Amino acid sequence: MSEMANTDPEGIDGVRMSWNVWPRTKVEASKCVIPLAASISPIRPHPDIPTLPYAPLRCKTCASVLNPYARVDFAAKIWICPFCYQRNHFPPHYSMISDTNLPGELYAQYTTVQYTLPLSPHNPNPNPNFNDPSMAPPPPVFVFVLDTCMIEEEMGYVKSALRRAIGLLPENALVGFVSFGTQVQVHELGFSDMSKVYVFRGSKDVTKDQILEQLGLGSSGGVSARRSVGAIGAAAYQKGGIPNGFPGSGVTRFLLPASDCEYTLNALLDELQTDQWPVPPGTRASRCTGVALSVAAGLLGACSTGTGARIIALVGGPCTEGPGTIVSKDQSEPVRSHKDLDKDAAPYFKKAVKFYENLANQLVSQGHVLDLFASALDQVGVAEMKVAVEKTGGLVVLAESFGHSVFKDSFKRVFEEGEQSLGLCFNGTLEINCSKDIKIQGIIGPCTSLEKKGPAVADTTIGEGGTTAWKLCGLDKSTCLTVFFDLSSSDRSNTPGTVNPQLYLQFLTSYQNPEGQLMLRVTTISRTWIDSAVSSEELVQGFDQETAAVVMARLTSLKMEIEEGFDATRWLDRSLIRLCSKFGDYRKDDPASFQLNPSFSLFPQFMFNLRRSQFVQVFNNSPDETAYFRMLLNRENIANAAVMIQPSLISYSFNSLPAPALLDVASIAADRILLLDSYFSVVIFHGMQIAQWRNAGYHNQPEHMAFAQLLQAPGDDAQMITRERFPVPRLVVCDQHGSQARFLLAKLNPSATYNNAHEMAAGSDVIFTDDVSLQVFFEHLQRLAVQS
Amino acid sequence: MASYLPPGAPRPASNANNPPSSQPPPNFRANPNSLADNLHNLNFNSAAPRAPSPLPGTPFPRQATQPVSPFPPTFSHPAPFASRPSPSVVPPPGARPPPFVSSASAGLASNGQPVFASGALPGGQWFPPPGSAPPTMAMAMARAPPQPQPPNTTSRPLMGSSLIRAPPVQPASPFAAAPQARQPPTTGYPYGQPTWPLQPGQGAPPPPITGSPQPPRMFGMPPPLPNQSMTSVSPAVGQIGAPVAGASKIDPNQIPRPIPGSSVILHETRQGNQANPPPPATSDYIVRDTGNCSPRYMRCTINQIPCTDDLLTTSGMQLALMVQPLAIPHPSEETVQVVDFGESGPVRCSRCKGYINPFMKFIDQGRRFICNFCGFTDETPREYHCNLGPDGRRRDADERPELCRGTVEFVASREYMVRDPMPAVYFFLIDVSMNAIQIGATAAACGAINQVIADLPEGPRTMVGIATFDSTIHFYNLKRALQQPLMLVVPDVQDVYTPLQTDVVVQLSECRQHLELLLESIPTMFLENRTAESAFGAATKAAFMAMKGTGGRLLVFQSVLPSIGIGALSAREAEGRTHLSAGEKEAHKLLQSADETLKAMAIEFAEYQVCVDVFITTQTYVDIASIAVIPRTTGGQVYYYYPFSAVSDPAKLYNDLRWNVTRPQGFEAVMRVRCSQGIQVLEYDGNFCKRMPTDVDLPGIDCDKTIMVTLKHDDKLKDGSECAFQCALLYTTVNGQRRIRVTTLSLPCTSILSNLFRSADLDTQFACFLKQAASEIPSRPLLLVKDRMTNLCINILLSYRKFCATVTSSGQLILPEALKLLPLYTLALIKSKGLRTDGRIDERSFWINYLSSISTPLAIPFVHPRMVAIHDLNSKEGDQSLIPPVISLSTEHVNDGGIYLLENGEDCLIYIGNSVDSDILRQLFCISSVDEIPAQFVLQQYDNPLSKKLNDLVNEIRRQRCSYLRLKLCKKGDPSV
Repeated sequence: MSEMANTDPEGIDGVRMSWNVWPRTKVEASKCVIPLAASISPIRPHPDIPTLPYAPLRCKTCASVLNPYARVDFAAKIWICPFCYQRNHFPPHYSMISDTNLPGELYAQYTTVQYTLPLSPHNPNPNPNFNDPSMAPPPPVFVFVLDTCMIEEEMGYVKSALRRAIGLLPENALVGFVSFGTQVQVHELGFSDMSKVYVFRGSKDVTKDQILEQLGLGSSGGVSARRSVGAIGAAAYQKGGIPNGFPGSGVTRFLLPASDCEYTLNALLDELQTDQWPVPPGTRASRCTGVALSVAAGLLGACSTGTGARIIALVGGPCTEGPGTIVSKDQSEPVRSHKDLDKDAAPYFKKAVKFYENLANQLVSQGHVLDLFASALDQVGVAEMKVAVEKTGGLVVLAESFGHSVFKDSFKRVFEEGEQSLGLCFNGTLEINCSKDIKIQGIIGPCTSLEKKGPAVADTTIGEGGTTAWKLCGLDKSTCLTVFFDLSSSDRSNTPGTVNPQLYLQFLTSYQNPEGQLMLRVTTISRTWIDSAVSSEELVQGFDQETAAVVMARLTSLKMEIEEGFDATRWLDRSLIRLCSKFGDYRKDDPASFQLNPSFSLFPQFMFNLRRSQFVQVFNNSPDETAYFRMLLNRENIANAAVMIQPSLISYSFNSLPAPALLDVASIAADRILLLDSYFSVVIFHGMQIAQWRNAGYHNQPEHMAFAQLLQAPGDDAQMITRERFPVPRLVVCDQHGSQARFLLAKLNPSATYNNAHEMAAGSDVIFTDDVSLQVFFEHLQRLAVQS
Repeated sequence: MASYLPPGAPRPASNANNPPSSQPPPNFRANPNSLADNLHNLNFNSAAPRAPSPLPGTPFPRQATQPVSPFPPTFSHPAPFASRPSPSVVPPPGARPPPFVSSASAGLASNGQPVFASGALPGGQWFPPPGSAPPTMAMAMARAPPQPQPPNTTSRPLMGSSLIRAPPVQPASPFAAAPQARQPPTTGYPYGQPTWPLQPGQGAPPPPITGSPQPPRMFGMPPPLPNQSMTSVSPAVGQIGAPVAGASKIDPNQIPRPIPGSSVILHETRQGNQANPPPPATSDYIVRDTGNCSPRYMRCTINQIPCTDDLLTTSGMQLALMVQPLAIPHPSEETVQVVDFGESGPVRCSRCKGYINPFMKFIDQGRRFICNFCGFTDETPREYHCNLGPDGRRRDADERPELCRGTVEFVASREYMVRDPMPAVYFFLIDVSMNAIQIGATAAACGAINQVIADLPEGPRTMVGIATFDSTIHFYNLKRALQQPLMLVVPDVQDVYTPLQTDVVVQLSECRQHLELLLESIPTMFLENRTAESAFGAATKAAFMAMKGTGGRLLVFQSVLPSIGIGALSAREAEGRTHLSAGEKEAHKLLQSADETLKAMAIEFAEYQVCVDVFITTQTYVDIASIAVIPRTTGGQVYYYYPFSAVSDPAKLYNDLRWNVTRPQGFEAVMRVRCSQGIQVLEYDGNFCKRMPTDVDLPGIDCDKTIMVTLKHDDKLKDGSECAFQCALLYTTVNGQRRIRVTTLSLPCTSILSNLFRSADLDTQFACFLKQAASEIPSRPLLLVKDRMTNLCINILLSYRKFCATVTSSGQLILPEALKLLPLYTLALIKSKGLRTDGRIDERSFWINYLSSISTPLAIPFVHPRMVAIHDLNSKEGDQSLIPPVISLSTEHVNDGGIYLLENGEDCLIYIGNSVDSDILRQLFCISSVDEIPAQFVLQQYDNPLSKKLNDLVNEIRRQRCSYLRLKLCKKGDPSV
């Protein structure tokens, strides 16, 4: 923790790369074992990023944006694009440019700049009113999709969470409400005579057109109106008095400004009942999550393209009805496990995934986001819905109950403004430009390929690939993507020196910020080429082991999902051995001589923990949890992702300051408090002695102030972690030998097991496992790495 | 079929001027009046407002639709309706007036003119010149039958036996007989068969006969046959064929006409251990159940059962039962007794499952009993054993209703239930499409429902639900916990579903306030609705799904042609018009259901015990033929308000709805009729769903619904034995009790043809005609249907003439006394709306549907309406009856200075003559001249005795008919007339 707090390894650019120095050739790159990858945070805020109130200059051939790496001929008013070496004339309004009068984007330190745009160049259906300066940006749209198949108590929790959320929404935000159980109910909030809902059957898949038509937004309403917009334009607007950006006037029956419908919504929530369809004993409630989501998506389809909209799904159980079903209603049939998926014994899985893929595609084409808040003791189908959430860049929170703080606090965070705000943005598009010979394989993370082909598209694909542009329907300030690069296979090592020793990458992210404004963020980075065949020293120095570990984790997760029979542990082990063989310092066949450069020294331990983590050892978790973990792994920044892989452990004791402790069972001591941060949960672990004292109430006695402080400290730190994080981690406070202690023990290196318990000091703990300990792992690694 | 009617009879043409008396054939007695009476009605056949009517200014078109006036709900629950006295044709047995005696008051004309017009005049004037006085019956009568001889009523006698000696030969006979009729019936057959022979050609054809060679043809009549010999040719035909004596005039007043009886008849169902033929269905009678069921519940077309099929065939009559199991008894009658056999359930024959009844014979000291249906001998259950008395009956027979009453109700034991008895569920489904809103139909429906809620049965078992629909379906969650109703829209009308499992149908007590609030707000909420589409089929289905779990009554208020969603229909009426050439041939196809979807839905509804009633409040074509499949199959009915008037129809709508939910009724019923060996049920006909050949399923059954059960022989019956019929109706009462209503009728068997004629039941036979006509119209060309109806009538008369009339003269029409009005009614039928091509398709469809469940007492009035004068109500002081004397339907009885009311149980037309005293107008309608007649009439009571009397009169009629009537005012020359 502390080391991360001190540094900002991502800097102004928000980019971290596994290798900061790149080998020249594809062959060399493959010898590096760890792929060339960059983890980018496209809109991570940074105080030093300037915002330029004009449109960027683009290279006329490759469309990259003017950046500090461009060579500028002030006299000729010409700039040379660093990517394609094209000479571009400055336009007239740059005529004042000079050595001493540089526009913001040319300042060397401003490798990342932000432009505010009057309209998005990527918006295929420009708002006809964009010329109108008074035209406010379209308000964001929130459609809540609420599961009603839950017990009253849960319903109460979720209702109060919703009430609070509605209160926090910006006044102009448009709100829609859909509830579902056996059937889907679309609430017509704009109907004043009484509560009115449209009911869709849960068992029947309906197309977007059918939904629109049945909601009365079809040919007579939205579609024709939208079609006519082009021709009649503004006239139609004034005539109909249609609010901003919603030519499909009908949709305003369902989507109302938060300020107008807060009362209605609250009244509606007061009366909303749990699903009234009877559930025979021994069966699951019939819940049509799939149809509900498609109806919500269809409803949003009536909004004009480019409107930022989120579907916020609150789901309390598995979908059992209609498309998207993940399990039968019969309770004797359990929800699919990893084992079932492995053995292809999950009859609903593929169909459901297919359904959610289609839904995802629809949402992406509309530019809308699906957020999933799942709270249930059993699985709800996150594994199936993952594709829709991830492709649209939605948020996901998995909790046990709507009453649990993991849900409650996370949900609140979504709507909070100010510092705590997640900075939810809409309609993002990411484009990547890169120097010649660099190819893009794809991106792992919350985005969708836009299938924009180009010379920079690699033959092989990782994640969302085959493109140089991606859609990010939803993104926020912590959104993080991992871009995988490849090098052109042409052998260029023969002509060293003839080319620029620098390589350039440019990330262009356009998006709509929470205020509805269109922004374009341009990050240009440069790295050095190195001929690693000649010297690997520089290469080694450029290795970012933390990023590399996270990239490996992400890649492993992806491969586990898409590659049949992929043996993750074995693949990781072999990669690690190869890496150590290549970069280690040793005598052949002499394990004892093995040494690793400090740049690599932490990596094996990361791999050890990754092998033991929930990402690889999936069988300890449900497919839902795995999907949830992976989605967060893919979208979090490197530091947080690293914590997911290798939790941090801090020890608190008398007589010493809080200090990082080894992630080892040996760190447990009777008189210590440990704080484990494994990202998803934060565990405060009281040693036996501490627990006894606490139970005896010493901390309440004035003479034991110190103890009280000791007891207090980890709690405060946990608070800090919790506050920063979304989703909010689960906080576990436990005592040594308590049942909850398993949350800690599972993450510790089992250096002490029942096999060697007798060697351990009193007061410490043992872990009952057959897993290898870190020491054993290292021994094997050394032996294998030095093998000839 | 009127055709036969005195062919010669009164055709308008012949001149009215000729005093009938002069013309009469020799034997014609001089009391024209009597004859006239009976014939009278012939011409008025109902219907047709715009028939090719001869008379320009026919007085009353009877069918015109009229606005109804809002009336203070006159009927209050069962009681009011309980008795429906009607003008009885038949006087009490004791004192029956001679059949022909006419009580008819002279003055009134009938409006039936059209009929006559067409048929009759031999010579030239089919239609009397406009100027001429109403062509009336008079003429009709005049036209003598084959031979211009006026018809004679022959034996009027009550006693069957005497009757037979028919008349013809003797000129005097026909009428002569009449007097005899007055004699107290000596035999057991009070209603013996009178014959009404026409003896034109016969004995001594008077000169005149020869004079008129031209056979007038009646509608649909076969071409005239030469009048050959009397024996070989049926008189009727003969007449037609050879109105040889066109010249002869028949006194219109001699035409047999219904004679309303004013006094109440006391009727014992069995006397002296013999079945007692029932009084006419339309009369006011009080029944004492002495073994056979009251004729209200079940009556047979013939009160003696022919022993063989041949005999029946020979008679030309049909053997059928009209079963109205929940009919309302007269207030003075003993109510049906409920018998509880406890867990074991009622005693039944173990072979045929017939229920215990007074005709099961106990033998062997009561230890065993013989089933009167299948003849099987069963052990008497121990706990039911009782010794026999010296008379062979069980000693306890008189204490046990099931052993001494024709109708009893058994408490159903567990084995009669497949589930707990269902609650009383009422689901209202209201059209709120643009048209419905604009014509005020939605508001009317909501208003009516809102008022009716108060009349729904109290208690936790009453559940209600409500939904509205246009191109989508809107349900309402009425649960009390909610602050206000929640509207749930089901937008998918191709594939509907119910939006909630519960809470759409809730206990009335839970939601009364929400419901009222909702009903008040629906019309305004949809005020701006611009959706013209209407998803009737889908809405009905969705509502059905909401009530599938329980079953119940679904009341649909529909205002436009269903145009979208499941079961959408097309405006095929218009299409039919544009393709006239093709349309002509297939005209009747428009009266068939357009597609199978609704039929399939209806069967599903029935399966889940959902009974659908459709209230059609419209100003356009809605394709009743297709829509009606649903109510018909589910035991419901169609109500039709066309053209809907927001001014005058809401009151009727409310009253209809109120009666619909408050009348005695049952749910989830199953009915079966069992017959003694030798007879079996051929077919059931009515509003129900039939899934098994032997039973009919009735999701809903009420006191107005009648089911026709046609019978056939499968063996010979023994002469002198009795043949029994038992209708068992298993149903759930509104209060949730499961009951079996068992109605048993045991009739003597006979092998004598004349007995059949003597015991024929006119009302039932004619109801049978009506229902057959109604069911055939949609499937056959109209001409064929008319022919068939005509032939049915002819065959009976022919048979009678051939085999029963002792002596006949060839030209004479001889009518069996019991059926003497059959020709009149048949003619009325042929001229009625359903059998004409000039009416709107929807009106004809409605007519057809109305008849499918019509009860016997209402059948005749429906095609042969009743007319009374109302301008002189005041003058009849002291008359106890609220209803003034009925006027024959003849224009000659209609004066320009009078106001007349004509009603058929559904519509009511008030005709105002041209020169009515304006004072009367003011008193009655608050207008000063005929020209101010409002298009939409609302009957109001003003502060004067005349107005009060009119209101009392209308109310009385409403009570009798169990119908609110659509009132309409008209004056001479109105087009709609």
